[in-house]
Amino acid sequence: MFRRIRALAEPVRIDFEGQAIEADAGDSVAAALLSAGVVRFGEPVPGGTARGPHCLIGNCFDCLLDIDGEPGLQSCRVKVRPGMRIRRQAVEFALSVPDED
Amino acid sequence: MSAALALDAAGADVTLVDEQDAVGGQVYRGLENVRKAHPDSRSIWGDDHDGGVELASRIRGSGVRLLPETSVWDIGGKEGPRLGLVNASGAWTLSPAHIVLAAGAMERPVPFPGWTLPGVLGVGGAQTLLKASGLVPDCRVVIAGTGPLMYLYACQMLAAGSRPTAILDSAAGRVSAALLGSLLRAALADGGSLRKGVRWLGKIRVAGVSHLRGVRTWSAHGDDRVDHVVYEDGQGREQRIDCDLLLVHDGVVPDTHLSMAADCAHRWNPVQQYWYPVLDRLGASSRKGISICGDQAGILGAEAAALQGRVTGLAVAQEIGLVDGERTRIAATPILRHLDRLVALRRFLDAFYPPLAQSRGTPDDATVVCRCEAVTAGELRRVAAHGCMGPNQAKAFTRCGMGPCMGRYCGAAVSRILADCHGSSVEDIGHYRIRPPVRPLSVGQLAELE
Repeated sequence: MFRRIRALAEPVRIDFEGQAIEADAGDSVAAALLSAGVVRFGEPVPGGTARGPHCLIGNCFDCLLDIDGEPGLQSCRVKVRPGMRIRRQAVEFALSVPDED
Repeated sequence: MSAALALDAAGADVTLVDEQDAVGGQVYRGLENVRKAHPDSRSIWGDDHDGGVELASRIRGSGVRLLPETSVWDIGGKEGPRLGLVNASGAWTLSPAHIVLAAGAMERPVPFPGWTLPGVLGVGGAQTLLKASGLVPDCRVVIAGTGPLMYLYACQMLAAGSRPTAILDSAAGRVSAALLGSLLRAALADGGSLRKGVRWLGKIRVAGVSHLRGVRTWSAHGDDRVDHVVYEDGQGREQRIDCDLLLVHDGVVPDTHLSMAADCAHRWNPVQQYWYPVLDRLGASSRKGISICGDQAGILGAEAAALQGRVTGLAVAQEIGLVDGERTRIAATPILRHLDRLVALRRFLDAFYPPLAQSRGTPDDATVVCRCEAVTAGELRRVAAHGCMGPNQAKAFTRCGMGPCMGRYCGAAVSRILADCHGSSVEDIGHYRIRPPVRPLSVGQLAELE
């Protein structure tokens, strides 16, 4: 998908859904996943269609991921840290109406 | 950066709030770090970015206080300017004597069938990956849209050893007679930039990239990621092209989220199809104590933004009583004259690369407009037919604009569709009212505010 035009300056290892990914210090989480060939990030919208990073500057909110247990983070605005654990967003956004009884 | 430096030079106490971890905005994003770690990167960027490196180092050497990785979540205040800020250490408020907004531009969101599929990225987004992380596509890439950024990025891909499969260009191949006048004026005022554009096109041709012009429409297809694009070529024939990435671009628009949240007056530019804040020549908005400069004020590009920043900085220094009016006038006059020359090139680009948003009209019924809540153009037309008059009402009916992006992405398209339905102007239909928090804030952070 993407390749790096320069060697990693400071390798950082992160975990995405159990897969080890080597990123560079300074990468956003979104950039790190794209560099590893991950383009489908999750289904963070009603109807559950697949989404991935789109604008990469923090405006579209399509790259939302669960990072170290905190859901709904814009992965294009979060920098990688060693040992970070990243999961696809497992949130059901659709509104649930309580049964009337 | 320029406004901050001008104010610092005038003796003001300046705080620079930046969402990124280093100064430079989008154009000069990550430049300082990349230059330090990889001095050879200049071969890809050319010398265009030297200006950004110089500005960044002047900021470091100045008295400007930097607040990196900090977002504005609220702006306004009845008793003078007030900012709500948030970063990793928490949320707090600031009440400065004056606020200068320079939020810059964002790529124009351009809804088309399939634009929500993974693998469909903005050209500017892809360029951000190249700037900040040194990532270049090494797969089948189709670039679709309009405007010079497509050519620049294609050349940067070529310089980095990759090659796009095709460029689907909505612009016509040649300059029409009607545009010759504005081309001539642009050439006289800023021939250097024009020559640069011609050089990019030459490189693309020499590299053998298939550059299709006059392409009318396209749509992205695939199950859970894009795998092919269907487009209608200049002769109206339907064509198909396989790809792993589709990079789209329809120019850039002012990022007016903060100025709208601050309730500054805005107007609609029908040629460029964007909202822009109403300002005087020195950048003062309709709200006392808030000035705006750079591309957020209207798209003129990085060079113009630096000039506007200097003028706005001077004007603000005068308003808060640091310099007298005569000195400001003398210093601002040559800068404003230089700005006028840059406007000439922009007028030609505006006419030659009309936004798809203008040339194609509004998206068809099945196309998703609000990405966050998956609301289609058809749903918006349906509620409009039932009497929904404006974007705020449409929000209540359809949830459009209620997702996490808060209407940043669908705002202009929703207003255009409603204006179309009611046969009124976009300006009369208006824009979503932007309410705080303008950036996500946790309940905990909110509770800790004094």
